[in-house]
Parts: sequence; C-alpha cells; structure tokens
Amino acid sequence: MRLINIVSLWFLGITLAALLIGTLVIYEKLGSEIDFELGMELDREIESYAERISQGAPVETLVFDKLQIEEIPMDWPIEDLWLRDTLAYHDAMNTNETQLKASRSFKINGAHYRISYYNLVVEADDITETIVTTMLTVFLVQLLFIGFFLWAISRKIFRPFHNSLEQLQDFTLQKNVPLSFKKSGVFEFNLLNSFLEKMSSKLLKDYRNIKEFSENISHEIQTPSAVVRGKLELLMNESINEQQALLIQSAFDNNERIRRIVKSLSILAKLENDEFETPEPMDFSRGLENVLSRLEEVIQMHAIQLKKNIQADVILQIHPYVAEILIHNLMTNSIKHNVEGGKIEVTLDSKILLIKNNGKTPSIDPKEMLGRFKKDEQHQDSVGLGLAIVDQICKNYGFNLKYTFEEPFHIIQIDFR
Amino acid sequence: MKILLVEDNPELTENISNYLADQGMLCESANTLFDAQDKILSYGYDCIILDLMLPDGNGLTLLELIKSRKMEISILIISAKGSLDDKLSGLDLGADDYLAKPFHLAELLARLKAIYRRTKMQGFDEVVYNEITIINSQLQVLVNNQLLDLTKKEYDLLLFFLTNKDRVVGKNAIAHHLWGDYTDDLSNFDFVYQHVKNLRKKISAAGGRDYIRTVYGLGYKFDTAAL
Repeated sequence: MRLINIVSLWFLGITLAALLIGTLVIYEKLGSEIDFELGMELDREIESYAERISQGAPVETLVFDKLQIEEIPMDWPIEDLWLRDTLAYHDAMNTNETQLKASRSFKINGAHYRISYYNLVVEADDITETIVTTMLTVFLVQLLFIGFFLWAISRKIFRPFHNSLEQLQDFTLQKNVPLSFKKSGVFEFNLLNSFLEKMSSKLLKDYRNIKEFSENISHEIQTPSAVVRGKLELLMNESINEQQALLIQSAFDNNERIRRIVKSLSILAKLENDEFETPEPMDFSRGLENVLSRLEEVIQMHAIQLKKNIQADVILQIHPYVAEILIHNLMTNSIKHNVEGGKIEVTLDSKILLIKNNGKTPSIDPKEMLGRFKKDEQHQDSVGLGLAIVDQICKNYGFNLKYTFEEPFHIIQIDFR
Repeated sequence: MKILLVEDNPELTENISNYLADQGMLCESANTLFDAQDKILSYGYDCIILDLMLPDGNGLTLLELIKSRKMEISILIISAKGSLDDKLSGLDLGADDYLAKPFHLAELLARLKAIYRRTKMQGFDEVVYNEITIINSQLQVLVNNQLLDLTKKEYDLLLFFLTNKDRVVGKNAIAHHLWGDYTDDLSNFDFVYQHVKNLRKKISAAGGRDYIRTVYGLGYKFDTAAL
C-alpha cells in the first residue's frame, strides 16, 4: 500500500471517529438546550396565567387544551417548576404527540392552584436527522478535500521522496557512481538523502576494496608460492636421500594446494562480484564435448565407462570461460569421486544438464557439499571449492542446481529454465 | 643462448637464474623497467623473460619498445595476473609465449627452448642426443636411425626430458606440461608413470639406452650418465 493511502485512510478513520463523538455530544447538548429553553418559555406562560388568576380572571374560562389548572389542598407546600415529557393530544395534528409538560403551584387569594402547561417538543428523530445530515455533509466535503490533497498536493510534497526512490533503483555497483540528490524543502527527506549518499559511497568504497583484494590476492600469493615452488625444484636437484625427497614432495604438494585454493577463491570472488561481462550466446553442447574430449584419457585410465547423450546446438546465455569452469568442475568431480570401473552418464538438452556417476555413499548430506570447504571425509585431499563454484555460477545465471544421491549414483541436475 | 630476465622479485630471479645457468644458458637480470630498457638498448639478447607487473610500470611498454625498434628478440611473458586479457594483449603486441605464475622451472626452460627452435632454427630444429634424434618439424623421433612409434604425449615427454636433461623433473611439472592447468585437480601421477614407462619401453625396444631414472617418487631424471 502506498504511503499516502495509508496516511489518508488513518486520517479518514480518525475524522470519522471524531465526527461520531461530535454527533453524540451535539445530540445531547442540543436536546437538553432545547428542553431548557422550552421549560423557561412554559414557565413564563404559567406565570402569566397565575398573574391573570390573581387579577381575578375566572379559572374555568382560562383552561384550554394546553393548559391545566387544578386546585390542590392549601396545606401542600408550594411546588417548584417541574418539567416532564408526556404524551398529550395535539389539536392541530389531531394525534397524541410527545409534549413537554411544565407545572408549578401558586397560592393565590387563599387558594392553591397547580398550573400545568404543555407544548410540543422537537422530537429526537428530528434532531438526529438534522445532525446526521450535517455531519455527513462535513465528512463528504472532507473526503473531497483529501482526494484533492492526494491528487495534487501530495505529488508536490512527496516528489523528492519519489525521486530518491527512483535513483536508488537505478543504483548499481558496476556503474561506480555514488548517489547524489537535490536538496528538497523537507527536513526528513534531506536527512534520508544525505544518509543514502553516505551509504552509497561507503558501499562503493567497500566494493572497490573487495574487488582490488580479489585482483591482488592472486598476485600477492602466487608470487611467494612460485618462489617456494622454484626453491623446491632446485632442492630436488641437490643430492638428497629418500627421506628428504618425501619431505620435499610433501611441501611441494601443499604449496600446490595453496595455489589451487587461491585460484578457486579468486574465481568465486569474481563470480560473487559479478565481474564477468554480460553473457553471450554460447554453444554449450560444443563446450561440453570439448571438455569431455580433453578428459577422455583420464576417463579411460580409470576404466570408467562414459555414456553421452548430448543434444547438439544447445545455446545458452553464458560467459564461455564460466561455462568451461562449470562443466570442468562437474566432470572432474564425477571422475574423482567415481569407483574403479564405474560409470558416468552425461545428458544434455535445451532444458537440463544431468550428470550421473557411480560413487561411494556420501558421509554428509549432498546438499551440504555445495558449501565452501565442505567435502566428503573420503576425499580430504580435495580443496572442496569445486561445487561451491558450480553453485555460485548457477546462482549468477539463474540456473537451478540439484545434487542428490541414489544408491549407487551421485546425480547432479541443472535446470537452465 | 643469452637471456634477460625482467622480474622484480629477487627470490624468483634467483630461482630462474640458477636453473637456467645450470642448463648452460647465459642469464642476466633486471628488476625495473628502466634497468631493463637500459640493458636491451646496450646489449643483445636472444630472449627476454618479461614480468608484466614491475615497480615502475607495466612490462608491456617494454614489449612495445622492442617491437617498434624491430629488434630480433623473442619474448616470453610471465605474469601472476593470469587474466585472459593480459595474455591476449601480450600476444597481440608480439610476445612469443605467455606463462602464468606460478610455473615449473622445467616448464619455463621447455618454453624457452621451444621459442628458440621456432625463431632461430627454422627448418633445422633437430634435437640430437647420442642415439636419440628428435625432428621437430615432423614430430618424429629416431633411435639408432630407427623411427619410434610414439604417441603425441610420449613425444612431448621425451622432448621435455631432453630439454631438462640431468635435472630432476617433478611429477607435477610433467603432468602440467602434458595436460596443462586443465587437469590440475585430478591426480595425474598414475598417468605420468604410465607414459614414462611406455616411453622407456619403446626406446629400449629400439636399442636405445635407458636414460630415464626414477628419483624417489619425486619425479624423473634424464640421466646422461646412465649406462
């Protein structure tokens, strides 16, 4: 829901509540005010009749349908003005109507009279009707005003906010341009904008640092690693005994491992930072065939049976180098984790890539293997980044990756969508 | 073969110089772009081993200088950047080969010799050692004038051994030479063993001496002192 709609709804709700309370108050107040005024009027009438009686007017002739005069015992105390609602016959309307009856007693010339006077009252229904009509009018007018406010004024007030939103949507790290907003007249928006500006430049700075780091790390680690490798190769040529040879080999292997880890991590960082240029249409079938032909010798040596079911001309939007990493990692995994004389089945069509291979039952849940440095206990010598890279590639290109184990096959399925 | 090594890391310079000097090559070194330019303009070299990231600039400018002056110097780029762009722009500018760091010293030597054969010995690039003759232009190997039936990998392997003769060549270096980075994460040592075994068998069958010796599981050595 849009901000302005929420504000308006709340505003209307509150207005409605205020109007309801107002209606009740006005109804009460108006009713009692009318009764009071009417009572005063009746009182004056009663007094004027009492005046006329004291001047000698005969009581019987005074009485008519709105006036009652009765004589009450002399020893009763004088009654004050007493008002009450009553149903009485109304001549003009020819029906019984709610009327206000006021009565008071006077002691005049040695007699005690109770004089009562009736009059029509404004009925509750009439008051309600009037008030509701008035309030509804007020409410409708308010509705109209709010509509107008929404349509015209809010646009003007919220424009800087909408501008900020638009700019925020266009913001990407690749463009390397920090956000910059025009000053608006609204304090809160200016505060928000200045915060966004600061945040975007911090974000860009961090991003550049990470990028630089991933660019430099390969250089910074590869050089000492190359030095170590060279020294060990020189050492190999000294006169050494078998024990020393083993030490050299072990140092050498571990140095190679560092090199592979750094290489894999820098590929991962590049993928995460989206540093590979926009994908281009690539013949994935041919890419797959190329990798398979390069691995042919290795597959033969492990006495692995390879079954290919590759549809020709499957074109995918993917960077060729990334595609090669993807295929290569999956295929080398299926060879490495295979068993002597096992099988590999590769299926490719325009929708999925399916790689099925024999292998030992995994010691951890296959899903976990997609994480970094997660590997099966039986393969402690592998780096454990191959599948993490595959996973990241699939995320980047919106592919759906599934890894399952169905005795005795490991199954990797990628839906291209 | 006279070589100029342009590399700012002193340790790496020492490694390479040592290895190449042992192979009878004359290797001088420069650790800055300025120093390198100075040396190139003053002395003649057959080949330059060029690192791209130097303290006073990019090595590619040196490449431009050499090409603009039409000097007859082969260039082998060694770079840790390893990005495809660098490799392409290096080769575009006229470098003869590109080797990503870290590399095996045996591999560096093999690349240098290959460049040398390509550029300096057009048509006559034969490698001869006693009874073994490798005719590069035809990818053929003769042992006692008898043609050996070798696979491409066996041929590459023999050339690699002869280039690095009397040096211990590690299993990793051989695997890398034969399969490249590509099979990095597959342990190729069984295949290396297999290929070496086949090669030795074929040479012996043709009456050649068994020069190739195992060195404690570290690797192999083409031993000229073998009997």
